[in-house]
Amino acid sequence: MKPLKIAMMGMTHGHTRKYYQTLRENQKLDWVASCAEDQAAKDVYELYKNGVPCYLDPQEMLAKHPDIEAIVIASANDRHYEQMKFCAERGIHILSMKIPTFDMDEYDRMIEMVDKAGIVCQIELEMHYNPVVKRLQQIIKSGELGKLLSIQATNITLSPVWAFPWQGVPEASYGKRVPLANGDHRFRGGALCDHPHIFDMVRWLTGADFDYVFAQAAPNLRKELEVEDMLMAAGKLTDGTAFLFDPSWSRLEERLKVPGPGWEIFPKRMEVNFTITGEKGMIQCDCFGPNVYHNGAPNDRLTVQYTYFDEWIGLIDEFVDCVRNGKQPKINLKWHRHTIECMNACYESISCGKTAIVKK
Amino acid sequence: MCKKMNEALEFLRDKYGFPAGEIVANGKQYMLRFADGSCCPLLPWRVERRFVELKKIIDGQTLENVSTFRFAHFSAEKTLPELLAAELDLMSFLGDSPITSVFSVCSGEVSSNSLVRLANGMSGSVECGCKLPAGKSDIDRHEIIAARGVASDRVADTQVPQESIYMWNEAGETCFTDVDTELFGLPNNEIWVVRAAYAVLSDNSLVEKWIAAEKAMYAAVNAALDSNKTSQPVILG
Repeated sequence: MKPLKIAMMGMTHGHTRKYYQTLRENQKLDWVASCAEDQAAKDVYELYKNGVPCYLDPQEMLAKHPDIEAIVIASANDRHYEQMKFCAERGIHILSMKIPTFDMDEYDRMIEMVDKAGIVCQIELEMHYNPVVKRLQQIIKSGELGKLLSIQATNITLSPVWAFPWQGVPEASYGKRVPLANGDHRFRGGALCDHPHIFDMVRWLTGADFDYVFAQAAPNLRKELEVEDMLMAAGKLTDGTAFLFDPSWSRLEERLKVPGPGWEIFPKRMEVNFTITGEKGMIQCDCFGPNVYHNGAPNDRLTVQYTYFDEWIGLIDEFVDCVRNGKQPKINLKWHRHTIECMNACYESISCGKTAIVKK
Repeated sequence: MCKKMNEALEFLRDKYGFPAGEIVANGKQYMLRFADGSCCPLLPWRVERRFVELKKIIDGQTLENVSTFRFAHFSAEKTLPELLAAELDLMSFLGDSPITSVFSVCSGEVSSNSLVRLANGMSGSVECGCKLPAGKSDIDRHEIIAARGVASDRVADTQVPQESIYMWNEAGETCFTDVDTELFGLPNNEIWVVRAAYAVLSDNSLVEKWIAAEKAMYAAVNAALDSNKTSQPVILG
């Protein structure tokens, strides 16, 4: 199979660096160029010494590398529409970050332009390529738990805002400045926008959609932020399954400009756990454990050093397969729309203090 | 068993473009046989993710001035020499130094307690036992103690390994710890054999290192068994 000529664009998303190893090593890819949002993003990119040229102008990148077939859009949420349009107009396949946009009109225009261009647009929800999740899906599909009755899930992390400041800017993260609720000084765009995985995963595990949700924000841990950092959501799926989600930034962090050793204050900086009850039994699942542990440099604090399998390998494999063989990715724009609808419904619920029906 | 592992190796070779090689059984150990018929012993623990990260923690100076290794490994299926071999090589690998002496006290073929010295002065203990009941997964622990920091593959304040998934239903408790999406479906011990073979195919310089390491590993195991007979430490090399 001819290697896919691929580029990266934006380079401001927290997941940017996670692509580097697999883009370099996967023989199905030829990583030819990158294009940073600005000089600051380019400077951080250069720290990783990837040996791939980095531009500041996407037109210049394409002029120098006209054979680019696909682009990973690794940018702030408010840049996605423009960058997807740039790709779609040129027939370039897209690997999008986990939140294409929260503006559902804009979202529908994305679907339309991708369909019109006949390109692949895969949404990056890397948990699907985690071996523990693969096992979880297999167990549930086998019927060993019977019909699912209830799911509790955490997607809790430190806050990445100090390294990726756009994640604390309502316009850049949520797309516009919308107060969290009347009388609340905060705006939409914080922890919830960072954590779609459990909203997506519960749909895959049950095969059902969201019916209704009630969400509430807690007082922020980080008083400087103008977006929410602590919240929870509970509700019901269309098949009757009850759910409770914690998508908070509940783990404190050192305020590093570039992620690196010593970032975490709480030992485990990222957790995705599930507790699932079915008619025939129950499961507890830690998608990122067990690991190894130390209390060495730089801060002499107990720290989890992760050992999980690189999820970006499977993600990229699926993307290349879809492009080369004309397949639709599992997580495509149309599928992912309902997940975003539920996240918006959480914000609506926080705003009005009542249950929100999730549109479909 | 080798058939499935070789299919998995073939998949990785095809995907990442590495030369041919075949995993072959050599007693309970595995070797990689190259197209020219030459072989390299496989040391699968050296590519196991938890040990790769522990090595990074040491080599990257997250721990400073390592003093002592405290290893333990208890099994239902493995023999004492098999357990000793893996643990002694692992200690030398993580400490990045050959073993220079071993003192061991064994209880028949059931258990052993060993004290080890590395050439760089680091000290270590290895506890091994073969009395877990049939069907029980291995229980092991690897703790590295340094002047700055302690590292371990076990969570603080626990005694036994954790799993990723615990399921309880009418059949009782079932646990799963899956470690590799590309090789999903193979048992973890076979995954590490395939990954070890892949590591050798992708880095030819490992051949010489692993041949020497295997030789040193068996010398250390023999030293442990000899020490038990004489009740004296055995000096190596």
